[in-house]
Amino acid sequence: MTISSKQLYLLLGVLLIVGYSWILYSGTIMQSSDSALEVCIFKKVTSLPCPSCGATRSVSSILKGDFIQGIITNPLGLVISVIMLITPAWLIGDLLTGKKTLHQFYLRAEKVLNKKKVFIPLIVLILCNWVWNIYKNL
Amino acid sequence: MEAQRVDMFIMANGKFFESHQVAIVRDRLLEVDDSKWSVIQTLQFKNPTTMLIVSLLAGSLGIDRFMIGDTGLGIGKLLTCGGLGVWAIIDLFMIMGATREKNMEKLQTVI
Repeated sequence: MTISSKQLYLLLGVLLIVGYSWILYSGTIMQSSDSALEVCIFKKVTSLPCPSCGATRSVSSILKGDFIQGIITNPLGLVISVIMLITPAWLIGDLLTGKKTLHQFYLRAEKVLNKKKVFIPLIVLILCNWVWNIYKNL
Repeated sequence: MEAQRVDMFIMANGKFFESHQVAIVRDRLLEVDDSKWSVIQTLQFKNPTTMLIVSLLAGSLGIDRFMIGDTGLGIGKLLTCGGLGVWAIIDLFMIMGATREKNMEKLQTVI
């Protein structure tokens, strides 16, 4: 089942809304109690941080303009921030013009990512980041 | 193709497809030329049950989606800790169907 453009846009829309409300929520209401931020099932089960643990803290540091602290917390936060900045504009642009450029880009990116030369280095990078996360004890 | 061969294929591989697709697969295979048989026989299908186990154990890292070839969705799950755990739970119910759909796609590239 190759994802259809409708499904993709719906999924991205939901993810973006949840993501933005999560950042708002964690930035305003839960700032005082850091432990309440931990929703990661993986961390709750194994007590080890998962590869993307610390992403919320990283994004909120980047939002405050502290890029270095954000990257030190979790480099994936930078990737997430870039995605969260670009996709809403792209999504709305596509919906307004009726084109499907985002869907085409997604399918093309998936094809590139399925090549061994591309995905093996990326997996190694993610694993290194994970080891760093465990070492930092996020 | 001979009905006997097709039925053999269905018996061995029927579990890899959605139940409503099995009849379509059978009809299509009966129409297909005999020369395709060797290719069809060598196709490796993903087992939905295995994917369910992977989804249970490593679903929040998106590994189940990577394994069936949905790389984009896999990255989405990985970056969001399995969609804050919600997506990982939803995928426990979706992954078997998604695997069967992927198997069907794979077969359709050949026949």
